[in-house]
Amino acid sequence: MGEVKDKRWGYIRKLKPKEIQSTIMIAFSVISIFIMLFLGIVLYFRISALTRQETVQDTQKLMEQTRENLEDYLVSMRQISDAVYYNVIKENDLSGLGNKIQSGMNLIYEANRDNLRSIAIYNNYGSLMEAEPVALQKEDPDVTKQDWYQKAMAKVENMHFSTPHIQNLFDDATQRYYWVISLSRVVELNDHGTSVKGVLLVDMDYSSITRMMKQINAPNNGQYYYLCDNTGKIIYHMQQMQIGNGFFHENNQAVAKYKDGVHSETFEGESREVVVDTVSYTGWKLVGVIPDSTFTHGMFNIRYFIVMLILLMAMMLAVINRVVSERISSPILKLDDSVRGYEAGDKPEIYIGGPQEIRHLGCSIQRSYEQIDQLMREIVLEQNERRKSELDALQSQINPHFLYNALDSITWMIEGERNDDAVFMISELAKLFRISLSKGRTVISVKDELQHAQSYMNIQKIRYKNTFSVRFDVDESIDLYCTVKLILQPLLENAINYGVGSMEDCGEITVSGREENGNVILSVKDNGMGMPEEEVENLLTDHNRVPAHGSGVGLVNVNNRLQILFGKGYGLTVESELDEGTTVSICIPALAFTEENRKLLEKGYSFGGENKLSGRSEIAQDE
Amino acid sequence: MAEKINCRGEAKLLKMNKSKKIFVITELVLAGLIILMAFIIFQEKRGKALGKISVIIQDSDDNQWSAFKYGLKMAARDKGAEMFVVSTGKILTPEEQMEVINGEIDNGADAVIVQPAPGMDTKKLGKRLKKHVPVMLVGRTVSRDGRVGSPPGVGPDNYAMGQALAEELLNDYNGSLKGKTLGVMAEMNGSVAVAERLEGFEEAVEGHGAKLSWRVTESFGEGESNSLAGQTKVDIVVALDDKSLTTAGACGAANDLHGALVYGIGNSTEAVYYLDTGVAECLIIPDDFNIGYHSLTEVAEKLGFYFYGMKNKKVSYRVIRREELFHPENQEILFAISQ
Repeated sequence: MGEVKDKRWGYIRKLKPKEIQSTIMIAFSVISIFIMLFLGIVLYFRISALTRQETVQDTQKLMEQTRENLEDYLVSMRQISDAVYYNVIKENDLSGLGNKIQSGMNLIYEANRDNLRSIAIYNNYGSLMEAEPVALQKEDPDVTKQDWYQKAMAKVENMHFSTPHIQNLFDDATQRYYWVISLSRVVELNDHGTSVKGVLLVDMDYSSITRMMKQINAPNNGQYYYLCDNTGKIIYHMQQMQIGNGFFHENNQAVAKYKDGVHSETFEGESREVVVDTVSYTGWKLVGVIPDSTFTHGMFNIRYFIVMLILLMAMMLAVINRVVSERISSPILKLDDSVRGYEAGDKPEIYIGGPQEIRHLGCSIQRSYEQIDQLMREIVLEQNERRKSELDALQSQINPHFLYNALDSITWMIEGERNDDAVFMISELAKLFRISLSKGRTVISVKDELQHAQSYMNIQKIRYKNTFSVRFDVDESIDLYCTVKLILQPLLENAINYGVGSMEDCGEITVSGREENGNVILSVKDNGMGMPEEEVENLLTDHNRVPAHGSGVGLVNVNNRLQILFGKGYGLTVESELDEGTTVSICIPALAFTEENRKLLEKGYSFGGENKLSGRSEIAQDE
Repeated sequence: MAEKINCRGEAKLLKMNKSKKIFVITELVLAGLIILMAFIIFQEKRGKALGKISVIIQDSDDNQWSAFKYGLKMAARDKGAEMFVVSTGKILTPEEQMEVINGEIDNGADAVIVQPAPGMDTKKLGKRLKKHVPVMLVGRTVSRDGRVGSPPGVGPDNYAMGQALAEELLNDYNGSLKGKTLGVMAEMNGSVAVAERLEGFEEAVEGHGAKLSWRVTESFGEGESNSLAGQTKVDIVVALDDKSLTTAGACGAANDLHGALVYGIGNSTEAVYYLDTGVAECLIIPDDFNIGYHSLTEVAEKLGFYFYGMKNKKVSYRVIRREELFHPENQEILFAISQ
């Protein structure tokens, strides 16, 4: 679990931008995208709500207008019915001469024939009294069984509008069938002066209503209008046949119970708004249906338009973000570049430009680098001085010691009247000091160092009465390499004091020299008693060791001198075995002894190792 | 050292190029999306219709097609397709019909609804088209065994209609037509549909004692009434197609049928009128509205989705007697055929 979390964090960390420009750009872009999305969504919902509201309002207005038209039409039908009843039927007797009723009906029919199919009067037995236009009545229509007749007779005081039906009264020679809406009412007929009950039927042409409804149903955007009666029976629906055949379903039964106004409903899984408006006189309901898809359809373009707008803004903002982030980050990047350049070894020319803060930062860094450079130079100089003085101090430790030993031996020889030996001793001492002084130089040739070792051993042999022998086994090829002066003498001194000094006649010291892998190896080997391994290990590391014999200038000092001058890769190696003897080897680089190399070494430029002053100058090798 | 600086410079350049590349790609992607959005909006504004569907039927102006055309019109409106009924003469030969179909395809029809001309080999219809467009057949019996035909079709079960007419006749005579003479009118002219009706009818009345006095299967030309009147007197005239029924009806209305009762299959207002006026005893009306609606719906679905498999559809028919002609359930059929 923890590993997974760590991994995830690892990915996130990886995703983190590493450059200031990217950081600024990403931050700006993320903020911009969020703002744009937020604005886009708010804009979309606002427009959507407004469009929805507007669509519903438009529908209501259109329906109001259509309802008024329908009412006008129905009123005109009622007026026709009233005119026939009050102006024609009531004023005339059915048995009257010249049939005034027929002519009166004819006048009214002709005036309204566009909207009328027929006007007919039936008596209370269902017999046709008069009809306009004059047509042959069907054989046996039996109007008393027809809905309009029964309704009129059921409520005599009312006018009744039927739902659309095929007129089944007259034999039309054109062999066509007409859809009509019947307006029926009970009327008082004068038949030979007697008042009898009858029914006046005004058949309105259904096509008038169809025309009105078709007009508002013309735009095919999913929204539609229909007309039903107060029981939900459909009077007009543009998909009337599809409903009858079950291809389409309408919620007309439920809508019939709705009050006027806007209703939200879900029908067959689709949400929709239903606007209901009741037509006066009939109780018919004009219904406007706005499915949700209509709103969506209307919003389709707006949705894409908003997305397009967001994309355009994103495109522009990407450019602006890039320019702004570049402007902000450019001076910082330049400053960073100049710092990196300095770190890579360029001159400390730090970029100073851009805004005030960056300029100030540049100036500070520039000053800091200059100070660091100055300090570095000072430290190098101080270090060199310190090394030199340390070297000088080490060398100065040697000189008095030698002098004391040599003078002691000479004194002892003169007292024993061994003048030749004293002369030899003094001349060897002179050689020794000549090389020790070497005009104050630290670096001498290997040849001089060997000469110095030889002189030293000659002196010591006299002092020790030749109780040990010395052998020099040195390749001549190494004579002209550089070395630090007085490095063999302490080794020889140790070999005598701890190795062969206490032996009688069989002590032997071998000084050898050779070139090996570009290094010069000088070694001093004795066949003394040797030392244990632990002591060998501490020999070059224990600075607090108190010497048992000699000058006190131990191997540690020699090793330090070598490493100070040539680097940590060089110095002494001690190998010893108990009762076998000890070998101490000096390893120094094989550098040709020239004036130039000597001067460079003495100035403190080491050859390799940790203290190497990098890249400033190379030591010439003249071979 | 110089190498190091060069490396650093190259890395920086690489980084800059990468950043620039990402920026340019982002801008290009955004521009592409904007163009796509504009294209979608433009397409939506154009409001492209689903496709143009041509309807080729025999004698397209005849009244018998009213309900069928109304069905087509309603389906075209519901599906948002463009529909056009080709005006044709009385009877097209298969060659003439092929010419009309290919002419319609040349004029940009994306699909065709065809009432196959008598004698048309519908199985080879697809191969003879100039361009591969969806074809839907109408009017013919749709595979009685339930197979999916090729091309698919929408139509009534003509055989069953013939049978139903015979059953009505038998019902009226208590199942026995013994001693009754029949005259059968079926304007076949090679029409498979009418032939199937005839087959259904004859098989159903067979063995019930009726005597088939005459059978007219030819086309009625000028003076057809007279020619019908010239036939032997029969008790019952059976008209198996709308043309025959209206001819028989007209004849009966003119009292030229010598009192014969008319039973028929028809789908025009004239046919209904003869039932209404008592000239015809029984009328079987195929649901032509459904034929029109279904045929166009299937074709529209096919145009909307290329891989849609158009299905066969068998539509119903209604048996109507005079006394129930104006019943509410029959008024819908009258509404469709009186459009």
